[in-house]
Amino acid sequence: MSEPKESKNAMKKRLKAEAAAKKKAEKDAAKAAKEAANPKKEKKFVAGDDADLDPTQYYANRVAAIEKMQAEGGNAYPHKFHVSHRVPDFIKEFDSKTKEGERLEGTTVTVAGRLNSVRGQGKLYFYDLKGDGDFVQIMSDLKTYESEEGFNAIHRSIKRGDIVGITGTPGKSKTGQLSVFPKQIVLLSPCLHMLPKSQGDRPAITDPEVRYRNRYLDLICNNENRRTFEIRARVISYIRRFLDERNFLEVETPSLCLLPGGATAKPFKTFHNDLNQEMYMRIAPELPLKKLIIGGLERVYEIGRNYRNEGIDLTHNPEFTTCEFYQAYADYEDLMRMTEEMVSGMVLSVCGSYKIAFSPKPGMPEVEVDFTPPFKRISMISGLESAMKISLPSLSDPQCASKLSAILKSRDIECAPPHTTARLLDELVGEYLESEIVNPTFIMEHPEIMSPLAKYHRSKEFLTERFELFVAGRELCNAYTELNNPKVQRERFLEQASFNASGDDEAMCLDESFVVALEHGLPPTGGWGLGIDRLTMFLSNKNNIKEVLLFPAMKPNAEEVALIAANKPKDDDKDVNQGKKFPACQAAKWEGADLGTEAGMRSLDCRLGDGAGPFLGGSKPSGADGELLRALATLPREAVGFFGNVKGYYNGAMQFSEAVRGTWK
Amino acid sequence: MFSSMADIEAQVKAKGDQIRALKDAGTDKAALAPHISELLALKAKLEGPPAAAQVQANEGEGEAREIRKARLEKIDAIRASNSNPFSYSFDTSTSAAALASAFEGKLEPGEEDESYKVSMAGRVMARRVFGKLAFFSLQDESGQIQLQFDKKKLNAADADAFKNLKAWTDSGDIIGVTGTIRRTDKGELTVNCETWEMLTKAILPLPDKFHGLTDVNKRYRQRHLDMITNPSVRDTFRARATITSSIRRQLDDLGFLEIETPVLQATPGGAEAKPFETHHNALDLPLTLRIATELHLKRLIVGGFNRVYEIGRIFRNEGISTRHNPEFTSIELYQAYADYEDMMELTENMITNIVNQLHGTETLPYGEHTVSFQRPWRRITMNDIVLEHMGFDFSSLDGNPDALAVAKEKAGEAGVPNVDSLKTVGYILNECFEELCEPKLIQPTFVTDYPKEVSPLAKPHRSKEGVVERFELFAVGRELANR
Repeated sequence: MSEPKESKNAMKKRLKAEAAAKKKAEKDAAKAAKEAANPKKEKKFVAGDDADLDPTQYYANRVAAIEKMQAEGGNAYPHKFHVSHRVPDFIKEFDSKTKEGERLEGTTVTVAGRLNSVRGQGKLYFYDLKGDGDFVQIMSDLKTYESEEGFNAIHRSIKRGDIVGITGTPGKSKTGQLSVFPKQIVLLSPCLHMLPKSQGDRPAITDPEVRYRNRYLDLICNNENRRTFEIRARVISYIRRFLDERNFLEVETPSLCLLPGGATAKPFKTFHNDLNQEMYMRIAPELPLKKLIIGGLERVYEIGRNYRNEGIDLTHNPEFTTCEFYQAYADYEDLMRMTEEMVSGMVLSVCGSYKIAFSPKPGMPEVEVDFTPPFKRISMISGLESAMKISLPSLSDPQCASKLSAILKSRDIECAPPHTTARLLDELVGEYLESEIVNPTFIMEHPEIMSPLAKYHRSKEFLTERFELFVAGRELCNAYTELNNPKVQRERFLEQASFNASGDDEAMCLDESFVVALEHGLPPTGGWGLGIDRLTMFLSNKNNIKEVLLFPAMKPNAEEVALIAANKPKDDDKDVNQGKKFPACQAAKWEGADLGTEAGMRSLDCRLGDGAGPFLGGSKPSGADGELLRALATLPREAVGFFGNVKGYYNGAMQFSEAVRGTWK
Repeated sequence: MFSSMADIEAQVKAKGDQIRALKDAGTDKAALAPHISELLALKAKLEGPPAAAQVQANEGEGEAREIRKARLEKIDAIRASNSNPFSYSFDTSTSAAALASAFEGKLEPGEEDESYKVSMAGRVMARRVFGKLAFFSLQDESGQIQLQFDKKKLNAADADAFKNLKAWTDSGDIIGVTGTIRRTDKGELTVNCETWEMLTKAILPLPDKFHGLTDVNKRYRQRHLDMITNPSVRDTFRARATITSSIRRQLDDLGFLEIETPVLQATPGGAEAKPFETHHNALDLPLTLRIATELHLKRLIVGGFNRVYEIGRIFRNEGISTRHNPEFTSIELYQAYADYEDMMELTENMITNIVNQLHGTETLPYGEHTVSFQRPWRRITMNDIVLEHMGFDFSSLDGNPDALAVAKEKAGEAGVPNVDSLKTVGYILNECFEELCEPKLIQPTFVTDYPKEVSPLAKPHRSKEGVVERFELFAVGRELANR
């Protein structure tokens, strides 16, 4: 096991600080000795009077004090403290049972938590103890404490930030403050560092960088941020309960896969050493979940992590949590009703009202979002036409893309190339429909070209039975009647491949194993997905996804870079073929190289290692793949498996049946 | 003596046709068996040595291709008569299991409850069609039920309904029916159908029971087919869901908060294992997939969440075996102010509750063993269990200057391999435990007080030198929990 090592920089810094602190400590010690020699001048101890020290000095003092305590036989880190009341439970139980200025003599409680503030001197000390997000006052006077010696020792040794355990009597101060009056206080775990302090209304830590990188400090110092994560947990548990009650089965499908499918996004690539196989992190669980419906699990869901190798911004983190569910014999109309019921019910249960305040972007004023069902429904194309007050070119028109392009140009709307109909429409929807939405609204019936896995509409040509739920301009859910006709599914995948050829690297991969599964019969099915992170953002009124992730992805700072370098796994098996010889084989010509030689195979290995997908041309197979596979198939297995990338490529591509490989062009 | 491949193919085809004809005529399994073994023998002749690329190829591929073609033609036929071979939705009112329990002990053989209307959907697993009568068995998520189609009754609503049923359906199709409930003369609960509807036409045949999904590799690769042909597989996944949901409920009731920590990490930590490596393009940052959730969760305890847990995927770049998968699900929980005794208490409680909930008893068979989860479970220190199995007390070495040499000698005598390179007594004790005791721990057992050398994140024992406050839970010779 490796606990994180200290980086060199951090170590230098620390050593320097320690040296300085030692000097200072020596000075202080000399001073203290002087003072001890002259007891009349002894300074009176006041709790919290070291708050003005600089943090390094504070740390050094604290380390020295704790070491001294341990050396004298004390224990700054006891193994166990029995807690009879968690702080919120203590408040709940005793707030009504106690009266001003009275103590419940005869009742003993034990509570524990972090000291949030310390004040007092002589015979009376006050602390705020924080536990489970709530605060209780600790009012310690000499009369109640078990011994004078213990009283003096403990109050001099505990500081703000320490974790302490308290045994005492519940009661209220004369001002009516619910308190614990301690018989005994034990230090459970000292906080060696000086904690940031809030100043008036200003939170203790305002720098988001510091908050995200050191979430524990954020949670200690900015108590209200804890609520966000409680909301997150309640959101997830609400969804689970909702689906469990409707007889859905929670399942787990793989995160590592041979082909990234079910969505259009750039995947993370990784490598399984033992299988010598290139793999991808899933970008969506859709395809395996639908295979389970085929397998006869009629209602399934998965709440889990997905991974997309894309930029980080206010609404995107490389890993994020979604819920997807699939229900046999249901269609998109059924799912819209379920969505209304689930989302509105959740808002009511978590926030106590259908109406919530939300500020969509940093610095933007709050708007009121009303989740009262039913939600508004807009059919995409007709909605666009009425919003733009024009009629759009027919989707069957071969000139559709260029006509749309002209419309965008005339309205000064930019669209990144390639200008496919799907991308152009998406741009218009963003401009004219999504941005206008505040209250939850279904945008539905997307064109087929935008929805390769959704089923063609039962009555409207070129459209699908799909909807997306938008709230305050952001997509929250995406759902559709699932395409279960394998022939059409294969055509849609091939169509996506043609978009890919035209430069749209967000088009979907052809997953032949999925089409074969469809050929075994997928019942009519409704499928649904929701972004948990985004929903939590709404319910906790946060407009940055980092606020709802405990440990958001961050570019490492200098110290972290050093830590990474220090922990880099050793490349002990860099040369896997050490000692092995490339087997003798017949010539296998491919693109001018001879794969029957080590040099030829090595160059292929390098080329495959640079690739961005499982195939020569990236995520789409081509005729060249077919030729290469044929050439490789003539060679002995040891030759094909000699280099990792070649072996991985070969094993992956051979997952497709010969008939399918024959169709690659 | 060699007949040509084409010849054998023709024979296979003829045999296949004959078997299908017999099946359709309602011949029972026993009578079919000799024909099927003949077919298999013919097919075996057809197969050459498997080419590298075709290890996975289905032996009946030629047959499958033909069936596929025939079914695609049926799809065209369905469309031609203005029906939809891939329908959009269907409302079901009940399930096979619900019907079975609703009618348990009710209806005499031959009796029908015409007032009890049902609508159901599922996959056709078998069909027997006669002139004016057909029997299907329909499988939904809950189980199977027999469907009866009577030409007269079915055609009352749609004159072509029975003809279409015969012409369009195959086993493997998903259909929806409405009807009433009767018990056949043989006593089988049956839906006497009034209407039927094709919901999804299957293009490929189901793997049949004879040379179907017995190959475990194929079962794991095509789990959907496995579940159709071996419905009990679903029970495993239902049990799995019950376990996680029971853990969640128990922990939520105890005031634990479920949280999610990152999978993608700049440095791996919290365990000793080889990580998966990947790369974030936009940040140009090498990342590894987490090998444990420990360090992040502990930071949250520092942050003031006193009770947290995470149920999530862990990734280890290691070999695959019957007990190891590159990604697996674990739960880790952390509770402030508690110690390892509390954790043993919680573990015992939680697992016993799950066992009770799943099986209604605390005694379970596992392989050749019977495992009793009755509390309390045995708790024993590593030193004592090694003493029990090896007859040597490692604690007797305390203070002995030759401790390491003696320990090596004793371990060697007991037949524990690879101890020569180990550097401390603690490592040797641990090795002896793993080698001699672990496989023998059949009943749930907490092994406590591990040597500190093998437990860098655990706290030194409050009173015993050289060991930490840690336990692992073992049952049927395997580690189940660790703290």
